[in-house]
Amino acid sequence: MELTGSHTLDAPVSTIWTMLMDTDTLARVVPGVTRLEKTAENEYLAIAEIKLGPVSGAFTGTLSLSDIRENEGYTLHVKQNSKIGNADATVSIALKPLSDAQTEISFDGNARLSGLLARTGQRVISGVATTLTKQFFANVENELAADPTTHS
Amino acid sequence: MSNKFIGQSIKRVEDKRFITGKGRYTDDIVLPGMLHAHFVRSPYAHARVVSIDMTEAKAMPGVIAIYTGDDVADINGVPCGWQVNFRNGETMREPKHPMLIPTGSTAKHAGDAVAIVIAETKAIATDAAESVMVEWDELPAVANPAEALKPGAPKVHEQFPDNTAFDWSLGNPIEEVDAAMAAAAHVTTLEFVNQRVVPNAMEPRAYIGAYDEMADKYTLYTSTQNPHLIRLLMCAFVLGIPEHKVRVVGPDVGGGFGSKIYHYTEEALVTWASKQIGQPVKWTSDRSEAFLLDAHGRDHVTKAEMGFDADGNVMGLRIKTVANMGAYLSTFAPAVPTYLHGTLLQGLYVTPKINIDMTCVFTHTVAVDAYRGAGRPEATYLLERLMDLAALEMGMDPAELRFKNFIPKFDGVNEPGYQTQVALQYDSGDYAPVLERGLEMLGYNDFRAAQQEAAKTNKLLGVGFSTYVEACGIAPSAVVGALGARAGLYESAQVRVQPTGKVSVFTGSHSHGQGHETTFVQVVADKLGIPMEDVELVHGDSDTVAFGMGTYGSRSLAVGGSAIMKSIDKVLEKGAKIAAHKLECAEGDLTYDEGKWTVKGTDKSIGFGDVALTAYVPHVYPAGLEPGLDFSSFYDPANFTYPFGCHIAVVEVDKETGKTTLKRMIAVDDVGNVINPMIVDGQIHGGLAQGIGQAMFEGTIYDENAQLTNGTYMDYCMPRADDLPLFETDRRTTPCPHNPLGVKGAGEAGAIGSTPAVVNAVIDALWSGGHQVKDILMPMTPERVWRAMNN
Repeated sequence: MELTGSHTLDAPVSTIWTMLMDTDTLARVVPGVTRLEKTAENEYLAIAEIKLGPVSGAFTGTLSLSDIRENEGYTLHVKQNSKIGNADATVSIALKPLSDAQTEISFDGNARLSGLLARTGQRVISGVATTLTKQFFANVENELAADPTTHS
Repeated sequence: MSNKFIGQSIKRVEDKRFITGKGRYTDDIVLPGMLHAHFVRSPYAHARVVSIDMTEAKAMPGVIAIYTGDDVADINGVPCGWQVNFRNGETMREPKHPMLIPTGSTAKHAGDAVAIVIAETKAIATDAAESVMVEWDELPAVANPAEALKPGAPKVHEQFPDNTAFDWSLGNPIEEVDAAMAAAAHVTTLEFVNQRVVPNAMEPRAYIGAYDEMADKYTLYTSTQNPHLIRLLMCAFVLGIPEHKVRVVGPDVGGGFGSKIYHYTEEALVTWASKQIGQPVKWTSDRSEAFLLDAHGRDHVTKAEMGFDADGNVMGLRIKTVANMGAYLSTFAPAVPTYLHGTLLQGLYVTPKINIDMTCVFTHTVAVDAYRGAGRPEATYLLERLMDLAALEMGMDPAELRFKNFIPKFDGVNEPGYQTQVALQYDSGDYAPVLERGLEMLGYNDFRAAQQEAAKTNKLLGVGFSTYVEACGIAPSAVVGALGARAGLYESAQVRVQPTGKVSVFTGSHSHGQGHETTFVQVVADKLGIPMEDVELVHGDSDTVAFGMGTYGSRSLAVGGSAIMKSIDKVLEKGAKIAAHKLECAEGDLTYDEGKWTVKGTDKSIGFGDVALTAYVPHVYPAGLEPGLDFSSFYDPANFTYPFGCHIAVVEVDKETGKTTLKRMIAVDDVGNVINPMIVDGQIHGGLAQGIGQAMFEGTIYDENAQLTNGTYMDYCMPRADDLPLFETDRRTTPCPHNPLGVKGAGEAGAIGSTPAVVNAVIDALWSGGHQVKDILMPMTPERVWRAMNN
C-alpha cells in the first residue's frame, strides 16, 4: 500500500518540527493512535485503534524515528500487530519551508499488510489510507490552531 | 432390462432435502461433548517462527488444549499421491508438509498453521487463537512461478535453491518438432498466463474427529470427495493407525470442484486431537480460510507455438510452460500439469509433431491441485486460443481451419481408437458434427454480416470457438501406475438385494452435487426392471461401503457405474439359476425382462422379488448354490473415456469502456450415452459458469509479499446469474466403446471448453474493430480490454 501526500501548513518550519518531535503532540496527530509511550530514544510503544473499511482492530506495536535531520524531516517506522493482521510501514516525512510563515509537509512511503488485513480488499484499504492522510493533516492544523504560541 | 428411466430427465431425488435446508453436512453434525478447534496461522507468506507464547490463551476459561508443532513432531506430513520425476531421472522433490510449523521453522505460505487451539466453543477457540502470541521473522517471498525461477528469487525450501519441484516433457523428440516448425509456412505464437483461481465450493471444508476409547476406533466426518482415499492416506501415511480402526464418513458435501479430493492437515489433526483429549473435535473453515487454504487451480505461464503449412494444415506444436505447484505438493498436484495436461495436447487435430516442456515450481503460495477439469482446461485453453488466433493471422475462417484439421471419425469398435502423439489413445470420436451443430445454432452465415455492421458502431461483436476433447473416467490403474500414481483408480460397488426384492447399492463414488442418488438409481432400476423407489444408493461411509476411490475426473458413472453394472450382472446370473430351479427349466431357456424371468415361448415366469426371497429362504433351491443375493465388484477401466464438444461464445465489447457482455454461450457436448439429460445439462451449466468466470471475472491477486489481496467475495469476483446469458446446449452421442453403459462423463466439460471460447470471442471482436490484439490477460476486466484497444 503506497502512502504519499503533501500539504501546506501556515506555520514556520521550526514550529512544525518541534511538534513532530514532541511525543504528546505526535500521539494526538497520528490518526488512530490512542497512546504513545517512549521506550528509548526515538522509540515508542504505540497503541492504535483503527477501523479499516470492513475490518477494525486494536493495534499494538512500535513506532520509531530514524534519519532525523532537524527542520528537514525524518523516517517514521511503524510496526503494528493485531488480531486481524500486521502492518509494517516506513514513511519518510519531509519539511520544506515555503516562506517564513508557510511550510510544506510531505510524506512518501509504503505499508506492508499481512493476514486478514491484506486479504480484505486493498481496494478498500487504499481509500482508508487516503482518509487517514487527510485526518493527519487536519489534526496537525488543529494543533496549530489550538496553540497560539505556534503562530509567528 | 427395461428402458423406463435411462435417458429420462428425472428430477433429482436428493434435491428435496437440499432445497428444503435439510441436507446434513459435516458442520450440522453435533456429537456429545464435542469441542471446537481454531488454528493460529501465519499472517506472512514466508516467515520464521521465532517464539510462540500461549500463556494468555491457555489461561482463558473454556480452553481445553493448545498444540504446536513440537507436540505433533512425530506425525508425518500430509503425503503426495503422485510422483513425477525429473527428465534426467532425478526423483521428484517432495518437501515435507508438516502438520504445524514448529518454532525455528518457517511458514511457507500465508495461512500455514502454527498451532491448533481447542476449546468448548468456536468463539472461545477463536478468541484464544488470537491471543496466542507468535513472534515472526518475516522473510522475502515469491508468488509468481516465472519469478520463482529467476536467479536470486526467494527460496521456498532451502534444500531446493532453484525452486524447482520437477521438470517434464512429453511428445515427439524436440528436434523433430523444431524441424516441423522451421518448415511451417506460418507459425502462430502466443505467450499467456492461465491465471490462478480459487475453487469456492459453497460448503467450506469441515471436519470432526471422534475417538471411541471402548472400541479403540476413530471416526472422521469430513467434507470430502473420497472418504476411502482420505482413510488410506491418513492411516497409512500420516497417523500410522490401522485402517480397521478408522471410519471415515463423507456426509452431504456442498461442492468440491477438486478442492475436496485432497487430504488436508486439519483432517488429521482433529482426528489425532480427539484421542489426546478424549472428546470429539470439530473444525469448520471460515470463508477467509477457504480462500487462503483450499488448493487452488491453474496458474500456468506459457509460451505456445503452432505451425501450419500454406493450406492451413497443422504441422507442429511446441510448448514451454512454467506451472505453479505452491509451497507443498498436494495429493494429486504433480499429475495435473503433466499427465492430465500434456497428454491432451493433441486436441481434436491431426497435429503430427508435438512437444511439451513443463517446469513445475515451488512458490510461497498455497498448493495448486486439480480444479474442475484439472490440466485439461489448461490444455484446451492453449490449443483453442492458438487455433482462433492462427485463423485471424492467416485470414482463414476459424471453423474451416478446425474442419480441415479434425481427426477423422473413429468409433473404437470397427475402427481402432486414435493414437495421439502424446501417449493417450482416444476411445471414440466424431468431431465434425459437434462443430456443425454449433455453427447451425449460432447462425454462423448471418453472424459475420452482423459483426461487420456492429464494427461501425460503439459495440463490437465477436465470436469465439473452442472444440475440445478431454480424458475422463479416471483411470486405468496400470496406466496411471506406470505414470507415477501411488494409487489405483478403479471403483467398487456392492449390490445387495434384500429378501423382499428391494435393493441397496453401495458405491465408492461420492456425490457432492452430481446427483448420483438419482442417476445411479435410474441405471439399477432399469437394469433390474424394478421401480426406482425400490432402490437406495449408499455412499460416503467407509464402514458401509467396502472400498472406493471417490469422485473426480468425471469418473463416477464411467467407473463407479461400471462397477455397479458388474454386480448387477452377477445378481442376474445367480437369479437366473434360482429362477430356472423354481421354474424347472434350463437357465438358457430363460429371458429376463420387466423384473421377471420368463421361460421362452411360455407364460411361465417368476418375479425378481420371488427370486430374492428364495435366495434368503432357500427351501426349494439349486443344490450347491449359496443362499443370498448380494454381490461386490471392482471395475478397473480399460482406458480413459474421451468426451468432446464445441463451445461457442458471442460477446459484445463496448469500444469506449472496454466492458464485455457475453451475449450467447452455445455448448454442444458429446459425453457418450446419457442417463439423465437434465442432470447432464446441469453439470454443463455449472461448468460453463466456472469457465466463463475464469475468462471474465475470477483470479487471485498476490502482492509483492505473496499476500493474497483478494481473499473475500468483495474482492474476488464470482460470476453471477445476471453476468451470464441463457445457455444454449445440445448434444451428440458417440458411445464409449469400452464400458458397459457407453458413458464418458460430463462433470468437467463445461469448465474445459468455455474459457477459450470467451477469450477468443473478445479477441475476434477487437480484430473486427481493427485492433490486432493477440492476447488479453484473464480475467478480461473492462480495464484490460480497454487498454488492449487503446495501447
